[in-house]
Amino acid sequence: MEAKPSSSSPSKFVDQLVVPGDVILDLSNMANQTLKLGGGLRQDGDSICVMKAGKLRFMKPNKYWVESSQKRYVPSAGDNVLGVVVDTKPENFLVDIKGPVLAFLPVLSFEGGTRRNIPKFEVGTLLYVRVINANTSMNPELSCMDANGKAAEYGVLKEGFMFESSTGLSRMLLSSPPHPVLEGLGKKLSFEIAVGINGRFWVNASQSSTVILVGNAIQKSESLSLVQQKIYLEKLLKSIQ
Amino acid sequence: MIVFEFLCTLIGEHVLLRTIVGFVAPDLVELNLEHQWEKMEQKLANSLTMTVNEKKFVENALLSDIRVDGRRPFDYRNLTIRFGSEDGSSEVQLGQTQVIAFVTGQLVQPYRDRPNEGTFAIYTEFSPMADPSFEPGRPGDSAIELGRIVDRGLRESRAVDTESLCVIAGKLVWSIRIDLHIIDNGGNLVDAANIAALAALSTFRRPECTFGGEDGQELIVHPPDVREPLPLIIHHFPVAVTFGFIGKENIVVIDPTHYEEAVMGGSLTATLNTNGDVCAIQKAGGDGVLQSVIMQCLRIASVKAGDITSKIKNAVESYNTQRSLRKIKRHNPSSAVSNVAKHHAERLTLGANEVCVGNQSNEHDKMSERNSTTKGVSGGLASWDPNSQGVDADAWRDSLPCATPLDKYKEESSQVNPETKSAEQFSDTNSFASTHEATNIVSPEKQSKTLKDAVKPKRKRRNKSTSNAHAS
Repeated sequence: MEAKPSSSSPSKFVDQLVVPGDVILDLSNMANQTLKLGGGLRQDGDSICVMKAGKLRFMKPNKYWVESSQKRYVPSAGDNVLGVVVDTKPENFLVDIKGPVLAFLPVLSFEGGTRRNIPKFEVGTLLYVRVINANTSMNPELSCMDANGKAAEYGVLKEGFMFESSTGLSRMLLSSPPHPVLEGLGKKLSFEIAVGINGRFWVNASQSSTVILVGNAIQKSESLSLVQQKIYLEKLLKSIQ
Repeated sequence: MIVFEFLCTLIGEHVLLRTIVGFVAPDLVELNLEHQWEKMEQKLANSLTMTVNEKKFVENALLSDIRVDGRRPFDYRNLTIRFGSEDGSSEVQLGQTQVIAFVTGQLVQPYRDRPNEGTFAIYTEFSPMADPSFEPGRPGDSAIELGRIVDRGLRESRAVDTESLCVIAGKLVWSIRIDLHIIDNGGNLVDAANIAALAALSTFRRPECTFGGEDGQELIVHPPDVREPLPLIIHHFPVAVTFGFIGKENIVVIDPTHYEEAVMGGSLTATLNTNGDVCAIQKAGGDGVLQSVIMQCLRIASVKAGDITSKIKNAVESYNTQRSLRKIKRHNPSSAVSNVAKHHAERLTLGANEVCVGNQSNEHDKMSERNSTTKGVSGGLASWDPNSQGVDADAWRDSLPCATPLDKYKEESSQVNPETKSAEQFSDTNSFASTHEATNIVSPEKQSKTLKDAVKPKRKRRNKSTSNAHAS
């Protein structure tokens, strides 16, 4: 329909590693197009430059963003995270979500929550919560309800063990098609897992050895490629039998 | 004024001041409160938050003899000891924990009550990049405790010979300073720091001092390239082994990780050497333990100390052989390079199949760094010495294993072998072959030119391994 010059969408850097300073698009060659820029990109006059090191991603028709993996998490609205209660205040619980500051969980944001039945969380309780809003200058706000006001799996996670990972690994675990190690382990062992996008995941099973196996396998598979992951998984499952 | 004093005694000074300030400048009070709140929040956010699930889980798992990272209760994590480019610097990695040690020496006046003994001091620095709860500036309690444990192990047991550090009794002695930097806190900093200190002390060299000058009374400190610097005299290796006691039944685990340290009820650090001497024991607070448990811990610690000592000694030995190779290389660059070529050829004929495409990027990285780190023989390609004879770009490119087929190499190697075998006799750097590999191979033409005259009858390649033993 339109004659697209070679430098127009999509950028030739898509799905490649980019570093701060790379110019991925030159807008002077593209006319009358609306682009949506996500995290890690910035418009500098006529060029779009990269601000964060990572992989450049593109989604049709016009969304670009940079995906990177860190140990610390930058809170953003709508994320499902795993938090640990650090303190209780009259109005809210202070929850650590691996961000720069603690997050607030209002005591009433539970399904059917009123002043009379405020849950009693002791320090160190593990929660699966949703980030409601996260402005850079304020403490992020959390909630244990989904958008409709139902509990929907949010709340306290009992037993099991929480493992630390990076944000990249969390995203991989939540991606579809499912992570090969997760899928492979799920076929042989029975366990339940909750993944927080803030670099934490929780595993529970009837036996401690299963939990340890699953957690360590996932942690170790982060730096392996797809093929290597399959090989690692095979070896692991063989050694269990 | 009098009214003020009277009110003070009644109400309490700071409350009164607050109310007065509150009247005069309410914003100031607000700011102060907020500042305090922020500091407290920051502290909460930075410290490791343990969930109740984790504590219960760790205890439960230990009941079935398994730990969170898959180890058994008396297993140590993987220990790697590396050395820097300078004498007396070491880097130890124990699982996730990383510690760097640096030893330096200075001539100072001795203490009055010990005029003929040198001194040594330990400084610890807990870098903020190791753990979010570490703050820069003055060392905290745990930093000081770590320094004290390492110091006690070395000083009380007289592991380092301080009398040999004396130069002029009463006037000048060597003062050894050990700096320990914690780079990454994965638990059990004491053990890792101790190993780093021992490794650094073993490789430290101090300059040699003699008397000279016109009247023979002047002290000359010889720089390292004039006279070979001397190592420290270390009588034995006091190795620290840390145990953690977890749960109500006080289950014992060795080498606790960061998580286990947060849930454990108490810990015990025992410093022993391979001779079976207990150099120091540290049990600061925490749950009480039975005497039988302590005896069991000491027995296990002596076994572990033996393991660790042998690991340190091996690492130090390979560092020393590399160091002596570097020295010889400086005098005789041509023979060294020919040795390189010969060894390279041998490596290819022995195990060329192991070198795969993935290693290519590895090579590039190793080429660019100049330090003499000791790595395992199988994968490691050590530093490229710029003092060696130049290599032309084509020969180097050809030498990249993945680029060229195997046969070409075998051909080259057979050409190179007769010449290089003779070169063996020139240098005693045969242990070079076991630890040092280089990626540059000198083109055969150059080889034949320099060594054609000096061809001597072939030596069997087997001799290389025996002369290896002689050299190291």
